[in-house]
Amino acid sequence: MTDSTEVGNTDKGCYTDHGVSGYGVAVRLTSKQIMGENRVKEIAESMMMSIAEKCMDLGARAIGHIKSHIRTDCGTIKADTIGTAHGSYSSGKLEHPVKDLYVAINSIIQGIPEAAVKAATLEGIHEIADQNDIFVVKEKEHTYFDEFDFLMSKEEHQQQLEDQFKAGDEKE
Amino acid sequence: MEITQIAGFLGCGKTTLLLKLAEMIADGGKRKVALIVNEIGEIPVDGKIIEEGGMTMKDIGGGCICCEVAVTFGKTLVGLYKQFNPDFVLVEPTGVAIPHQVKSAAKMGMRDAKLTVGAAIVLFDATRPAELLDMDMLGNLVVNQLKDADYLAISKIDAVDPSELEGIANRVKEYNETAEVIFISAFTGEGLDQLAKIILDGEG
Repeated sequence: MTDSTEVGNTDKGCYTDHGVSGYGVAVRLTSKQIMGENRVKEIAESMMMSIAEKCMDLGARAIGHIKSHIRTDCGTIKADTIGTAHGSYSSGKLEHPVKDLYVAINSIIQGIPEAAVKAATLEGIHEIADQNDIFVVKEKEHTYFDEFDFLMSKEEHQQQLEDQFKAGDEKE
Repeated sequence: MEITQIAGFLGCGKTTLLLKLAEMIADGGKRKVALIVNEIGEIPVDGKIIEEGGMTMKDIGGGCICCEVAVTFGKTLVGLYKQFNPDFVLVEPTGVAIPHQVKSAAKMGMRDAKLTVGAAIVLFDATRPAELLDMDMLGNLVVNQLKDADYLAISKIDAVDPSELEGIANRVKEYNETAEVIFISAFTGEGLDQLAKIILDGEG
């Protein structure tokens, strides 16, 4: 076994010495209108940019990255940004338009504390949702949509997603 | 079981590169490749993206594998060895990890697994050299990563003017004269054969 003194300080993350903070959240977004692939990508990209801008407004010195992963019953979309000057990008496919989006977002930012990263992330989500007539139905920190059986029906698939939120409740 | 880390600051293209290299090294199933992804921020977004690529993947959350969850990293390597015994393990540390500490953490698995700790390939984002190097706290972190590199891979070269590349290479060489500099683009594929060969040959 390697001498543990070779490994860094385990009391706190190395990144805290460099002013880097991270925040992760899972949300369920629902729209009355169905949303096609392009619209979902536009919303995801806008969300990434909105969060990045809010982080900078709160005093961030740099955006490490802001990443999102959007699950639906017919495919996934990913979107991310590394800073307001760099734009945001998305990829992925949806087989058909959807109303429900299960979104996980990770924001890693330098120069502001975790509470500020959290505030910017949540405000960014709500701002873009509001602008697009989308409801933030559920919101849960440190939760992810992890277990899936993709052979299930779409109704059962959605139930799995909902169960992940409940699992988060039980843990807390 | 050869352990190679694909390190580098946040947003430099580690996940995209990891997936491409894993496919190249696996070569249609000729070799067994496993991936370990570590993220701060609680939610393994990268891990989910990689899983969709069909690779054997372990994600480690709850902190950084170079410090907070180093022991978990060592145990994960042992678990992979016992369950899958892959030929190669590609590790994506957090974007703030210090590569030599990741190597030390990997060596913790040597007691219970036959493994070799290979190269630290450190990516540097060609699209934002000044942003990464010219700020005090952040610059120190990025410089420490560059110093630890066995190979310096300047990434996203498709997104910058080719005339800028030599200047970027000279800047990173200021911090590490011995590491070979490789220009790569996960988008065009440039430089990836060279990186795959480094991993396959166990250089580092």
